[in-house]
Amino acid sequence: MAYQGDRTTGFASPTADNIEGTIDLMAAVLDLRQPSRYPVRVEGDALVGRGIKHGDILVVDSALAPRAGVVVIASVGDELRVCELTQRPDGWWLRPSGSTKPLQVDDDTDVSIWAVATGLVRTDV
Amino acid sequence: MPVFGLIDGNSFYCSCQRAFEPRLKRKPVVVLSNNDGCAIARTREAKSLGIKMGDPWHFARKRPEARPVVWYSSNYALYADMSRRMYEVLQARVPAVEPYSIDEMFLDLTSLPGDLYERCKNIREAVWREAKIPTCVGWGPTKTIAKLANGLAKDHARLEGLCDLTDPRIRAEWYAVTSIEEVWGTGRQTVKKLQSMGIETVSDFVTLDPKSIRNLLTVVGARVQAELRGQSCLALSDVSSSRKSIASTRTFGRLLTEWPEIREAVAHYAARAAEKLRAEHLESAHLSVLIQTNPHNGDPWYAKHVGAAIEPTSDTRDLIRHATDLAQSVWLPGYRYFKAGVVLTDLRPAGAQGALFSTRAPDLSSAAMAVMDAINARFGSGVVRPSSTGLRRTWTPRASLLSARYTTRLDEIVRARSW
Repeated sequence: MAYQGDRTTGFASPTADNIEGTIDLMAAVLDLRQPSRYPVRVEGDALVGRGIKHGDILVVDSALAPRAGVVVIASVGDELRVCELTQRPDGWWLRPSGSTKPLQVDDDTDVSIWAVATGLVRTDV
Repeated sequence: MPVFGLIDGNSFYCSCQRAFEPRLKRKPVVVLSNNDGCAIARTREAKSLGIKMGDPWHFARKRPEARPVVWYSSNYALYADMSRRMYEVLQARVPAVEPYSIDEMFLDLTSLPGDLYERCKNIREAVWREAKIPTCVGWGPTKTIAKLANGLAKDHARLEGLCDLTDPRIRAEWYAVTSIEEVWGTGRQTVKKLQSMGIETVSDFVTLDPKSIRNLLTVVGARVQAELRGQSCLALSDVSSSRKSIASTRTFGRLLTEWPEIREAVAHYAARAAEKLRAEHLESAHLSVLIQTNPHNGDPWYAKHVGAAIEPTSDTRDLIRHATDLAQSVWLPGYRYFKAGVVLTDLRPAGAQGALFSTRAPDLSSAAMAVMDAINARFGSGVVRPSSTGLRRTWTPRASLLSARYTTRLDEIVRARSW
């Protein structure tokens, strides 16, 4: 039988009115059931400075508005990339971690924001 | 006045593939039917290369003009999840959504505040941004008009994916230049009949006397006409009550002759149907099985569909037993079987009414099934399964060009490089 805090055989439990379930990380944090949420596997250690490592699972949300400084999944040409987003007077830019030049988010450059990162899962700690 | 909308995913299966692969953005993409048989979804680029609906893959791929095409096996796990996303994005924005097919949904847009055009535009953008599916939206005072509007939005690029047919004057303009073939609910025979009478456009059709339409095309035709005239006859339907049967039917990866192989396949289909049944908290009281040879490869034609009433159940083991018993009664040696299936009908809520003399222990059965379903939900479909559904499964359909199941399997999620 599963443990039930309000059923004791000797003394009544003083906690009976305060029983809460275990934390449901899926519902509270990750919530991949949202229609705009997707899991993405990170490849490479370029963003290790932001605490994002190779093999991590990013939970990203395509409904979130972009903000300066967030980590996004961007569609750049033929591929998806994980990178930091910055804002300049002329619009949104992807800031690379290395010495390469930033890229402007623009249909002309074939760069668009695919989704904004909202959480991270690391199983390899 | 009611307002109905119809939103429809553009080349839906192809768009699901594109959602996770930017390299496909401008490429011709084609998705193949079960068993990599023939083209069932094509992007605009693929259509313009002359790839037709139903083109067999093994011929089409050899044509020189088809060289740039990227082919995919159908990835139903992915498409089902993307359809779910589309539905939920819509559900959050309109009072009622009726999923008409995997990629088409009727919307209730009646008496919503604000500008309807702006709203539909926003809905379309939200589906694109959140569910990653490009769509077209059509709307009007009836379902049939909404469906027609949706078709116009799809066919005329200048409409930019949106078509409003609420205004009778605008309707009249489109009706005059639109063929009756485009109308929802007019089959090929009906169209032929009408065309033989000189009725070509939707205008021709709506101006006919309703009585003569009824004589010519029965009440069904009369209803189509009334709907096109702006008189709503079809309401948004409730899916939950419309479920009449659950089927699991597939063509085999190769032709099967031996009973043990067929038995295995039929058991597998029964197990799949049972899972669907339990997912909807239903039981079935009638099971039928079909097996058939291929009518197109010159083999002698043999097809049987047999059914039997059964004690209401959703237990995989019961359903497998019934299905394989029935299949055995119609299986004959000497034929090369091409397809089989299991169909469950006479559906009812689980546990609603116990049989008078039940032969089973329903509590034990539902406990066992719940454990099996939970394990499979967590570790992947088919991880725990009855051994009668096969271990090697040499009959599974070919799916040589299958993409990852990006949203339903942890080891197949989309990958992105850190930059």
